Amino acid sequence: MNRFRPDMTGEPAVELNGVSLRYDTADEVLSDLDIRLKPGSFTFLTGASGAGKSSLLKLLYLAHAPTHGEVRLFGLQTSALKRRQLSALRRRIGVVFQDFRLLDHLTAFENVALPLRVLGQKESDYRDEVVDLLRWVGLGERMHALPRSLSGGEQQRLAIARALINKPDLLIADEPTGNVDPEMGQRIFRLFVELNRRVGTTVIIATHDLALIREFDAPVLRLQHGLIVRDVEHQPA
Amino acid sequence: MSKPTPLLPESDAREAALFFVVAALCFLAVLATLTARGTYTAAQAWSAQVEGEMTVRLSDTDRRGADEAASLIRGLDGVTRADVLSHEEMERLLEPSFGPGGIPAGVPLPLLIAVETTPDSVTTAASVTNTLTSAGYTAVAESHSDYAAEARRALGTLRVAAIGVVVLLTATAIAVIAFATHAALLARKDIVDVLHLAGAEDRFIAQLFERRFWTLGLKAGAAGSVFALAVTALIVFSAQSAGAQSQLLPQLSLDFWDFVILVVTPIAAGLAARTAAGGTVNHALKAVL
Ligand SMILES: Nc1ncnc2c1ncn2[C@@H]1O[C@H](COP(=O)(O)OP(=O)(O)O)[C@@H](O)[C@H]1O
Ligand SMILES: [Mg+2]
Repeated sequence: MNRFRPDMTGEPAVELNGVSLRYDTADEVLSDLDIRLKPGSFTFLTGASGAGKSSLLKLLYLAHAPTHGEVRLFGLQTSALKRRQLSALRRRIGVVFQDFRLLDHLTAFENVALPLRVLGQKESDYRDEVVDLLRWVGLGERMHALPRSLSGGEQQRLAIARALINKPDLLIADEPTGNVDPEMGQRIFRLFVELNRRVGTTVIIATHDLALIREFDAPVLRLQHGLIVRDVEHQPA
Repeated sequence: MSKPTPLLPESDAREAALFFVVAALCFLAVLATLTARGTYTAAQAWSAQVEGEMTVRLSDTDRRGADEAASLIRGLDGVTRADVLSHEEMERLLEPSFGPGGIPAGVPLPLLIAVETTPDSVTTAASVTNTLTSAGYTAVAESHSDYAAEARRALGTLRVAAIGVVVLLTATAIAVIAFATHAALLARKDIVDVLHLAGAEDRFIAQLFERRFWTLGLKAGAAGSVFALAVTALIVFSAQSAGAQSQLLPQLSLDFWDFVILVVTPIAAGLAARTAAGGTVNHALKAVL
């Protein structure tokens, strides 16, 4: 059995029960996973390339349904939800995609504001908030730039800002330091830790950057061939 | 700050192509409708005019006999006019056959009486023939409205054909737009995905495409209709200025219904585009979680 159950009280923010995933007719990418993450927890998800990290995250940000088993978020069983309820649930989740998925015809400011426009908010209402967040991620001077004119690291931080603008209860980041140098990687991780400590956002980060994992005090889920093989406890420095 | 950039990028080459196709379809639909309507109106005017006209052909009699026959006809119920055609009138009538030199001597000519009755008259071609025959004439009366009835039957067929063409063009337009929206959706799947995962409801995403394609349909429809109107006007104008006998040519008198067609076509194109876009987007979204 692959079971990872940290001590917890109350409803888990994320709960997977017997979850398997199979794309089309290929082999299982995820097999019989049981995972519980407390609200306000900070978790690393690691594993070799192709181990199924991105696939697992897709289940969590509701881009895909599992082939078997159930995915519960904030105590809600997602397979029982109507489309509108799923949309509402997605608004409580911020996602930093591995490939960013910035919209190339919108400025940095507009990319960050996207989740608020989706809610029907007016620019006059969110303007200050977006500017503050862009400054926080160090893009205060690049607000009117189009994504293609930004460096890889700037795009990464822009994607992070967009994931955070909604003040999500759950932040999911897929290899958020994949395109940046180690120093920028540290800055980004510190940003997540700050968010987790100050706001209590539940954070789950997929990464295979072991150096960074070692540096931050957090539990690690390791995926291998679709199975959770171990919970790597934090090693004191 | 300036207006926010539309979430869907401004039109690209694919939309220009779609604009052209919708405009062309609307052009053909309006042209078919205007032409059919014009022809129908002209034909109705013509048949209403010839209603109550007939021609009586006499043989085996002379000019005096013909005059007597004419006064006999004039005595019938509802007859407003019965005149024997003079030699000059006959020459004018037959000029296309014999040329301006007049009718050669020795060509036997029937005597013709032009008769007009009130539209609701009980006097028919048959009753005129009967009256003359019993008075001892060899006469045949022909009502012009017999030709009109035939023309009207042909026009009925024309009308059905025109409606068929318009229906076919509309269906084609909808299919083309659905196809194009699908392509646009695939091309902008990145945007749809990001919006979807940011928690946008299906309605919100569908509306982006619906608005875009409504505007496109409306503009393309207007362009097509106006162009069709211009072409129709040109056809009629050139036919009329060529001095042709224009009674059976389409008559373009911008009446209320022509105006309605010109206004309704772009709206219909816009609605068709909007509906096709909305349906396609919703269908595509239902396929994802
Ligand atoms: N959309 C998909 N369709 C089919 N196979 C996929 C799809 N996405 C990922 N896979 C496969 O699933 C496995 C796990 O991929 P992924 O979740 O991206 O792993 P990781 O993020 O750990 O590198 C890989 O073998 C990959 O080829
Ligand atoms: Mg991955």
